[in-house]
Amino acid sequence: MRRVLIIFLILVINLIFQTSVLPAFAIRGIVPNTALIIIISFSLLRGSFEGCLVGFFAGLLQDIFFGDTLCTYALLGTVTGFFAGKFNHGFFRENYATPVIISMASAVIYETAVYVIGFLFKGNLHYFYFVITIIVPEAVYTALCTFIIYRILFSVNDYIENKEKHKRKLFSIK
Amino acid sequence: MNFFNDYKKQIFTIVAVILAITAVISVGKKTNATIIDNALGLVITPVQSITTTVGGWFSEKIGNIKGENSLAAENEELRAQVELLETENKRLSLYEEENKRLSELLEISQKYAEYETTGADIIAKDPSNWYYTFVINKGTKDSLDSEMVLISSGGLVGKITETGYNYSKCQSILDSRSSVSAMSLRTGDLGVVKGDYSLMDDGLCKMEYIDAESEIMKGDEIVTSNLSEIYPAGITIGYVKEVVTDNNGLTKYAIIEPEVDFKHLSTLLVVMDKKEEVEIK
Repeated sequence: MRRVLIIFLILVINLIFQTSVLPAFAIRGIVPNTALIIIISFSLLRGSFEGCLVGFFAGLLQDIFFGDTLCTYALLGTVTGFFAGKFNHGFFRENYATPVIISMASAVIYETAVYVIGFLFKGNLHYFYFVITIIVPEAVYTALCTFIIYRILFSVNDYIENKEKHKRKLFSIK
Repeated sequence: MNFFNDYKKQIFTIVAVILAITAVISVGKKTNATIIDNALGLVITPVQSITTTVGGWFSEKIGNIKGENSLAAENEELRAQVELLETENKRLSLYEEENKRLSELLEISQKYAEYETTGADIIAKDPSNWYYTFVINKGTKDSLDSEMVLISSGGLVGKITETGYNYSKCQSILDSRSSVSAMSLRTGDLGVVKGDYSLMDDGLCKMEYIDAESEIMKGDEIVTSNLSEIYPAGITIGYVKEVVTDNNGLTKYAIIEPEVDFKHLSTLLVVMDKKEEVEIK
């Protein structure tokens, strides 16, 4: 329960931060996708199941406030969380290279999916134009932000896991 | 948990398919916010308006440090401008009176109706880099509704796409999904003003489907035409920056510089009358 509440709070704070503060830090109109970093971090730290849930709710929040369909971003978030969770096994949490590389790669795939859904289906064929102007700059910016956000979420997750361990011990004594 | 691990792929596939179907079904439905949306909106929008104010305060402070020296000069300049505008305003109100009298004589209704408006603040911007949508701090509570038109400093900003209890989602004319039926004020040529991704960052948009033989040229004022279902006629959109003939040689398109400065847009006016109601008046 504590975990659910904390993660939901993180997602809401992220939405507020992403929509009202982050535009002030845009570089040539490009902002990093912090929701994606949160999805990647939790699926790496906790596996596919939690990654899916975090991805679903992060996407749903974005759908409610900015999407013109109901489940597009929720679907993208769920799929991202599921596949990023595959790297959960045999991954050293203290190693920062893995989350950075994975978030960069998934930013490219995620934004390509947004292009396919929102632009290619409407007959816009300039994929390489978007690669240069949006996808690659955003992937790089997102990767840079992963260092900071992954570090924060890593300690948050540590805190929750410690609390949970404590609880479990209490129950085992009984 | 065990159940999930055993049937991981099957569950995942089913969930993904359900989400995809929901997404396809909900395309293009212009419904107003549900209870869940409103509950979230009640929690999130007050915080968003605070954080936006804080962000705006910081960028304003940074701007002040840069521009403190030029303030006196700017003040002087603005005073002169106020003088000028006041005299012009007086002259124009005389014209308005005359216009009213003459149109009454001719029995034609006023072309440019007066709209009832209400002010609103922008509190959030789309987090993705693809679109130009934003959220304002008023909703059904202040009797706003979807498809109401937004204006600012005399120019068209966009329209409301969805309203919640205390917030509304809006789409600007720079968004690539937006299209507005428009007209050149000088020549009367019709076209459609559309958002274009490559021009969005520079705050420009594109007027398409202009007849190749039209005499539209740089500097012409573009206003909303009376063909549109949503936008009232006669709202200034912007000025022509460049005219280009399409590859096929049959149509032209023009790059439009909007009247509104989208980079520094923070407050705007919502036109409370919808188009049908305006026409009945």
